[in-house]
Amino acid sequence: MSEARAVGRVVATELKPSTPHQFFFWTPRESPVGIGAIVRVEAEERTVFGVVTDGFAYSDLQTPMHAVLGADGDPGALEEPTRRAEIRLYAAAVLRHIPEEPVQPVPLGAVHLASDADVVMALRMDSYMTGDKPTGVPVGVYAVGGLEAPVYLDAEFLLGPEAAHLNITGVSGLATKTSAVEFFLTSLFQKFPGQKGRIAAVCFNVKGPDLCFLDQPALLGEEDKRLYERLGLTPKPFENTRYYAPHKADGVNLNTLRTHEALAGNTEPLLWGLREVLDYAEVLLNRDDVDAKADAFIDFLAERVVGKEFEDNTLPGTFRVRSFADLDQFFRAIFTVLEESRGGGEVWKTHHIATIRKIRNRLGNISTRSKGLVTDDGEVNDLPWGGFEDRGLYVVDVAGIDPLAQDLVFARIVSKLREHLERRDLGVEHVVVFVDELNKYAPADGPDTYVRKMLLDISERGRYLGLVLFSAQQFRSQVQRRVVGNAGTTILGRMDGDELALPSYSTLSPATRARLAALPKGELLVRHPHFTQPIFVRFPRPAVLSGREGIERFPPRADLDFADAVARRMRALDPSLASGRILDLIAGRREEDVRKALNATVRARPEQPLAFFVKCLGREVRPETVVPRAGVRPVRTSGDPY
Amino acid sequence: MATRELNVPSLQDLRRRLAAVPGLVPASLAPPQAQGRAEEARIIPAELVEPGPVSARPVGPPEPWPETVAFLDGIQRFEVLGYAGAAPLLFGEIAAAVRERVGREARTVISLRQRLVIGRPEVLALAPGAFQGVDTIALETAEPVHPLCDLDAARARLDDARIELERRAGNAYRKGSAAWLVVDGSLTVSPLWAGDPRMLGVAKSHATLPFSGEDLVAYLNLPVGHRSNVFRPASSQRAPVHAWGLRLWNWGGKDLLYGLIRVEAAARAETQAMADRVSRWLLAERAPISADLRWDRLLYGIHGVEQYLRAGRGGW
Repeated sequence: MSEARAVGRVVATELKPSTPHQFFFWTPRESPVGIGAIVRVEAEERTVFGVVTDGFAYSDLQTPMHAVLGADGDPGALEEPTRRAEIRLYAAAVLRHIPEEPVQPVPLGAVHLASDADVVMALRMDSYMTGDKPTGVPVGVYAVGGLEAPVYLDAEFLLGPEAAHLNITGVSGLATKTSAVEFFLTSLFQKFPGQKGRIAAVCFNVKGPDLCFLDQPALLGEEDKRLYERLGLTPKPFENTRYYAPHKADGVNLNTLRTHEALAGNTEPLLWGLREVLDYAEVLLNRDDVDAKADAFIDFLAERVVGKEFEDNTLPGTFRVRSFADLDQFFRAIFTVLEESRGGGEVWKTHHIATIRKIRNRLGNISTRSKGLVTDDGEVNDLPWGGFEDRGLYVVDVAGIDPLAQDLVFARIVSKLREHLERRDLGVEHVVVFVDELNKYAPADGPDTYVRKMLLDISERGRYLGLVLFSAQQFRSQVQRRVVGNAGTTILGRMDGDELALPSYSTLSPATRARLAALPKGELLVRHPHFTQPIFVRFPRPAVLSGREGIERFPPRADLDFADAVARRMRALDPSLASGRILDLIAGRREEDVRKALNATVRARPEQPLAFFVKCLGREVRPETVVPRAGVRPVRTSGDPY
Repeated sequence: MATRELNVPSLQDLRRRLAAVPGLVPASLAPPQAQGRAEEARIIPAELVEPGPVSARPVGPPEPWPETVAFLDGIQRFEVLGYAGAAPLLFGEIAAAVRERVGREARTVISLRQRLVIGRPEVLALAPGAFQGVDTIALETAEPVHPLCDLDAARARLDDARIELERRAGNAYRKGSAAWLVVDGSLTVSPLWAGDPRMLGVAKSHATLPFSGEDLVAYLNLPVGHRSNVFRPASSQRAPVHAWGLRLWNWGGKDLLYGLIRVEAAARAETQAMADRVSRWLLAERAPISADLRWDRLLYGIHGVEQYLRAGRGGW
C-alpha cells in the first residue's frame, strides 16, 4: 500500500523526540486521521505501525494579545485575509515495528492510513489469522477515513489456555455491555475454531428482560447487515437456546419476563432440592454467625444424613432425608430427644443444641427466601449436566429472585460447570459464563463472599479448565481488582467521566479518555494480549431481540392462578390439549401432587405429555370423613369388684 | 508549480570535503553580517507626485483584496568554512519563494534555493574539486587581505545573489499568473517589477528617508490609517517607481517608525489613483499579526514566505 498518498509525516524534535514506543506526526488541516486511527510509517528498511493517541493543534500566534490587536479588539471584525499557519500534530503509540529487532526509535518518514493488510500486521493478527488453523474470532471493525478492517481476537487468548476471560466496562443503556456480549457470543459460536473443540455458553440474566430473547431475530438495518458481511458472520439469533427460571412463590408461575406462550417451548423451571442446596450451604451461610462448629454440623448433615438412610441409637427409627420437610422432621427428632433426656441435654453427637438450632433456622430460611427455586419436596429440574450441546446457549434468569437465591444459583451452576469440566464430562470442552453487574458479585470492597472467591478462582484458574468468564459492569473500579485484572481481553464502552478520572485509567491518553466519555453506540475500545495498544472498533447490532423489543413483541403473560398456570404449562408441552381437560384432571387434587406431576412431565418432556402427567398424578384419593365405628358399649358396674 | 534545487552539497558535506585540504584551516563562525546588510541611514530627497506639501491623507477603513494575491520574499545566510591564511572561505545559502493566497489559504508556488561558496580566487583554488555541485563566487579584489573587509564583500555579493534569486522567483511567478504580487522590500531592484502594474513593494526599512524638514515631520507623524503623498523616490537603484508612506498601527507612545511602511508601485499615472484603495488593502493585511518582533510592519503574507524559507533551511 506504499503507493497510497501519505496523510502525514513524522516529526521529531528535542522536546518531542521519537522513541521506540511513541512518535509524533503532522497532517494537513483536513485529514481523515483521528484519535484511534491506525497509521503506518514508511522509512528505509523499517515499517512502523502506530495508533493515534492524542492530537494537538496550534497556530503561529505568539500571544492571544496579538489576536486582539489584529482584530482591533472587535471579535466581529473582518476575517483575516490570510488564514494563520496552523499545525495538526498527532501523538501515536507504536503497535509494531517491522523488523522487530533491533528495537529503535521510530524513523522520520511518511505516514499512511492503515489498510486492511496493515491492520492485520499492526495488531499482530497475522500470527493467528494465517496458517492451517486460524484462531481468529471477529470482534468488530476498525473504521477510519473510509477504511474498514475486521479486527479479530485470538481464541487461544480469549478462551484459553494462553489467556482467557473478557471484561466489559460501560455505562448502562448505550448498547455497550449486553449488546457487545450478545454479538461476541454470536461471533464466537460462528467462528470458534473447530480444532479447539465444542463450546457452550451460560448466561445469567440479572436484570429485567436483557437476555430473555436471544433466540428471537432482530430486524437489522442495511448498515448492520453490511458489517456482519464484512466480518464474515451470519446475522441470526442463537439457534440452540434453553431458558431456565425459578418459579415464583406459588410454585407454578415462572419468575421471568419470558412467559409469553410462544416462547414456552424452550423455557423451563429451575428447581433444586435439599441435596442441591446443601452442597452450597456455604454460599447461604457464610454470614458472620456461622462458625467452624456450624460448618462441622453442616458437613455431618451432608455426609451422613441427607440422601442416605440415617439410623442412630439416640433417635427413634430410621430417617430418609430427601427434602427440607424431611430435614425438619429430623431436626425435631433431635430436639425431642434432647429435651426428654434427663437434666436437659445440650449436646447431640458432639454438636451443641444451639448450633443445631442455628443451622435449622438458616436452612429453613433458605426454602423460605428461595421459594420457587428450592422445593420442599425434593423435586429437581436442573441444567443438563453432562449433556451440554455444542453451541448451546443456556440462559438462567435470576433477575426476579432474592439476592441470596441469586448467589446460590450462581455459585452452584458455576461450581457444577467447573466440576464437570474437570471431569471432562460436561458435553463440551469450553464454557463461557456471562455475568453482568460484576460489581455486585465480586465487589472491590465488602466481605469476602463465597461467590467472590469463586469468581476469583475462575478468573485465575478457569482457563486451564475451559471455563471462561465474560463479565460486565458499569464501574470497573468497583470490582475486585484481581477478577478484572485476570481478564485477558478488556473492553471499554462509553464511560463515566468520574470513572475515567481514576488512576487506573491513567495509561490511556487524555484524548482517548475524552473519546471514551462520548463514545457513540456500537463502538468499543478493545484491549487484547496481541494488541500492543487498545484499539477502537465498531460492532454491528446483535441479531437478537433486545430486552425492550422482546417485551413489546412477546409481552409477558399475567400470573395465573394455580390451576390455569398448570394448564398453560401443559399446553406449552402439547398445544392440542384443551385447558378444560387439564383443569378437570387437577380439580380437587392437592397442589403439591399436581406441582410434582407437572414438574416431572416438564422435566421428562414425554411424547404423550397428558398421559405422563396423569400417570405422575396418580390415582385420586378422595378424603373421607372418618365415622367412629359403633363398638360394644362398656358394661357399667355399680361398684369396685375388688 | 513549486520548484526546488536539491542534490547540492550541504554545509556538513563541504566541511567534510575541506577537512584535509592543505593550507586551509577549518573554522566555524556565523558573523554578524550573515543575516544581511545594515543599511546606511540617510536622506535622499524624493520628488512629490501628488502636490505638496507632504500631509497625512486618510485612506478609509481596511478593505481586503478579494482576489488572489501572492507574496515574495527571500532569505540569506552565510558561515565561515575556514581560513587560508587570513582570507576567509565562506559558505552561503540564499533562497526565495512565492506563496500564493487563494481565498484565505496560502501555499508555496515557487521556491528556489542556492548554495554558494565565496572566497578570494586563490582560496577557491586550494580545493577546486571540493566545490563540485555548488556555485562559487570569487571575490576579485586588489585590496590586501583583511578578513573583516572580505566578510563585508562576501555579504554584498551574497545580497546580490539573493536579489537575483528573488528576481527569478518573481519573474517565474509572473509568467504563470497575473495576480497581485507583493514583494518584501523595494521594486526598484528590477525594471520589470518597477513597471509591473500588479506588483507592490512593501519596505519596512526607513534608513533612507525621502524628505527632510517639515515634510519629513509630516511623513513620520502619519496617524494610523493615513498615507503620505505619492512621491517618486530618487533611488540610486535601477528603476523608477512611485511610493508613499502608510501607517499601519498607531505609533503614539511607541516609536516614530512603528507601524510605518513604504509602499512602492509602478511609476504610472494609475498608481496615484489607486493609492487609497491599495492602502486600505494593506491595512486589512495587518491581521493576522506576524509572529515576529517586526510584526508592526511585517505583513503576514510576507512573514509566511519567510517562515517557509527558514523552515526549509534545516541541515544546511
